[in-house]
Amino acid sequence: MSRGGAIASTLVGLSTALGNALVSETIARKPGLLQSLDPRVKLTGLLALVLAAALSHRIGVILALWLGATVLGLLSRVSLPTLATRVWLAVLLFTGVIALPALFLTPGTPVLSSPDGKLHITEQGIVAATLLITRVETAATLTTLLALTTPWMQILKSLRSFGVPQEFVMMLNMTHRYIFVLAESASQMLESRNSRTVGILSSAAQRAIVARTAGVLMGKSIELGNDVYLAMQSRAFRGDTKLLTGFRMTSRDFLALSGFLLIAMIAIWLGRA
Amino acid sequence: MSYTAVFAAHNVDFHYEQVPALRQLSLTVQTGQCVALVGANGSGKSTLLRLLDGLCFPAAGSISFHGEPLTAANLADNKFFLSFRRRVALVFQNPDVQLFNPTVFDEVAFGPLQMGWSSAEVISRVDAALEMMGIANLRDRPPYRLSGGEKKRVALASVIVLDPEVLLLDEPTALLDPRSQSQLIDLIQNWRGTSKTVITATHHLEILEDIADRVVVLEQGSVTAAASPQQILSDSELLLRANLVHAHRHRHGDLIHSHPHLHSHSKHEHEH
Amino acid sequence: MHIPDGYLSPSTCAVMYTGAGVGWYASLRRVRRTLNARLIPLISVFAAFCFIVMMFNLPLPGGTTSHAIGVSIAAIVLGPAGAILATSIALAIQALFFGDGGITTLGANCFNIAVVASLVSYACYRLIASNAPLISRRRVFASAVAGYLAINMAALFTAVEFGLQPIFFHDSQGVPLYAPYSLRVAVPAMMLGHLAVAGLAEAAITAGMVAFLQHADPALLSAASGGAAATTAAEPIRPNSLRRLWITVALLMFLAPLGILAAGTAWGEWSLSGETHYTSSSPSSALHRLASIWTAPMPAYAPPFVKSASFGYLLSAMFGVGLLLAGSLLVQKLWKRRSTAGSTP
Repeated sequence: MSRGGAIASTLVGLSTALGNALVSETIARKPGLLQSLDPRVKLTGLLALVLAAALSHRIGVILALWLGATVLGLLSRVSLPTLATRVWLAVLLFTGVIALPALFLTPGTPVLSSPDGKLHITEQGIVAATLLITRVETAATLTTLLALTTPWMQILKSLRSFGVPQEFVMMLNMTHRYIFVLAESASQMLESRNSRTVGILSSAAQRAIVARTAGVLMGKSIELGNDVYLAMQSRAFRGDTKLLTGFRMTSRDFLALSGFLLIAMIAIWLGRA
Repeated sequence: MSYTAVFAAHNVDFHYEQVPALRQLSLTVQTGQCVALVGANGSGKSTLLRLLDGLCFPAAGSISFHGEPLTAANLADNKFFLSFRRRVALVFQNPDVQLFNPTVFDEVAFGPLQMGWSSAEVISRVDAALEMMGIANLRDRPPYRLSGGEKKRVALASVIVLDPEVLLLDEPTALLDPRSQSQLIDLIQNWRGTSKTVITATHHLEILEDIADRVVVLEQGSVTAAASPQQILSDSELLLRANLVHAHRHRHGDLIHSHPHLHSHSKHEHEH
Repeated sequence: MHIPDGYLSPSTCAVMYTGAGVGWYASLRRVRRTLNARLIPLISVFAAFCFIVMMFNLPLPGGTTSHAIGVSIAAIVLGPAGAILATSIALAIQALFFGDGGITTLGANCFNIAVVASLVSYACYRLIASNAPLISRRRVFASAVAGYLAINMAALFTAVEFGLQPIFFHDSQGVPLYAPYSLRVAVPAMMLGHLAVAGLAEAAITAGMVAFLQHADPALLSAASGGAAATTAAEPIRPNSLRRLWITVALLMFLAPLGILAAGTAWGEWSLSGETHYTSSSPSSALHRLASIWTAPMPAYAPPFVKSASFGYLLSAMFGVGLLLAGSLLVQKLWKRRSTAGSTP
């Protein structure tokens, strides 16, 4: 690998993740189907569909849910290439590799055997692998749609209205906020290290740099945390925040919610054992 | 106009983990004054501002606001706390510290919500503040998509929405491009002459005449001089000693000549 | 070891959410009581820090790279309650905002990575470092061990959760509905990767940061020291809520292997008798060899089931339980000693 291999790839990783985050904010503001719904409806509805996919014993039902999710995505200005690159390929690679041995290791009726009779692919193995992959793909598609079409602030406020304790919501929000601040800090530190090294760095040296960067980052994090608390106090914070709640369900939202729940229930019924 | 002291600090000592930051500092600020706190890094400017904002408390000495002592006990009283927090506002040097809400609107609304104002009032005041700072278009923007200048303006909006009487500004021009800087200076000049008290900590000497009637010099945690901007700026010995300017050395033939040098300050003339 | 949606059955997810919920509740109560509102921004920023650290590529001896989680150093600096909250928040944001990691499995991930790893890390660190001075090699060593064990324990829990899926959740044809590997496959498969690689990554980051902090800001290490904590108020520590947490965790752990035994078919689901269907020689013989580590030394007069591969795996799980319990009991003893001695200055 190049001289700062791990460092360079960390930098790439950081900027990719942040870049993706910014893209999702763009999608969340487009005029699409999911974007127009109350975030609480989305949260409940999409999770109900994930549950339906999780409960199903039948691949057909799961595939139908996957198709439905894709259609929802298209109606919400989330293109097929976006879904493919952000969700489907990654899941296929990761879960595909994990599911592969199941073809051989699941006991049951052999379907394919190696010439020497030692390796068998069983029917149960094929079904198990397919079930796993389709389930993971469907769930990932649905949760990604939720994340892409809902601005973070709305997710937080819905969580609050579902009864998540206020401290958690505050912490979720501030963490999200400071991920970007710290990511920039970390990138700058790593970049300056990277540009100042000449020649190939040993694995131990790279490790040391990463650990040092993490250490400095932690120091900055704590300082930032303390300063933020002062800033909050300065604006009259003393432990509990009051949020402006602004959600009102329209009839369209109720309709969508009923739709989601109905489909989920049908799917669960069709996919039962 | 009759002046009354808005802040009175007497012999204040303060340290961070055994390192002294303020030593026997005494200072009085009158209502409606525009004061500039100047000093090198580490001279105690930021610390003083935080003490004036009741965010930390002196180890020795006292600070009072309109005669009321600023102590932890006093600030524990709900009424005084809310009143003080509304009347005194601090803008931190690092705007990221002050932007901890999901969107610009939420950020500016944070203070008013803490004050317990009604939703309708909060919304109208926030919109007004955004208009005033010229950032109404940034209403729904998350903070990580703001430029440095925009962040500063959001930070300012989030404090002026409460219509404070006192503005404490910590290095407000730091990290700003020239145009944003001049916009900020315009803003401070708008406050000059009103009944608002503005205390600006800065080491940006060129703007002193624009933003302050009175300059207070801090060296190593104590006040060493307090005078008009013109007087301070013409005292090159003081400026050098307080590490506010650097000595510039150059040769004239066989002579090596050194004098205090302030970059970009109108004329550059010296005696040989 | 983040578990995506679809690998665990909904009932498993519900159980794990409950376990995680206990952890969150206890930690929140502790934070509210002893650490006050000031820690809200601190925990948030630490969560952000964990999130970023999870993205660091760490090169390891041998040419591989891996990722650390940062939960171990969080436990050392913030204490277990703060670390549980910070890591859970980082995981929640990964799932909800970045779409990375399951939402139904968020409870399981938080339980394994936030709760278990924090507790193990804190317990190990306290046990090994005990009253050594803040700036000592012993603390660095303690933190490395803490990081290593914490991650491996989290991996063990994850592996057990995976391995139980085909046993409890399969259809009438015998098709596993979720994670398709039994304990005998899942446990070694997960553990090997973490014992050999990921554990080292966490150990490296944890030890590296403790060493760094010893020079840069030793006060940060005092939260988990034997002496006074830098961030808490001068109050005696009352470990009640966390003790309940320990007991719950311990119970869950005991019930898991007991549940296996009670289910009867359980471990032996794809036991030796069923192997004749499908064996491909290499995996199962390797597994047998691993299992025999536990069972081989058993004396000749031991009952036959003790010698089976299945029992060997059960013993590995029990070992994990024992470690966790021993650690928790010792930590409790340390806390009691600390509060009765009236430690804070």
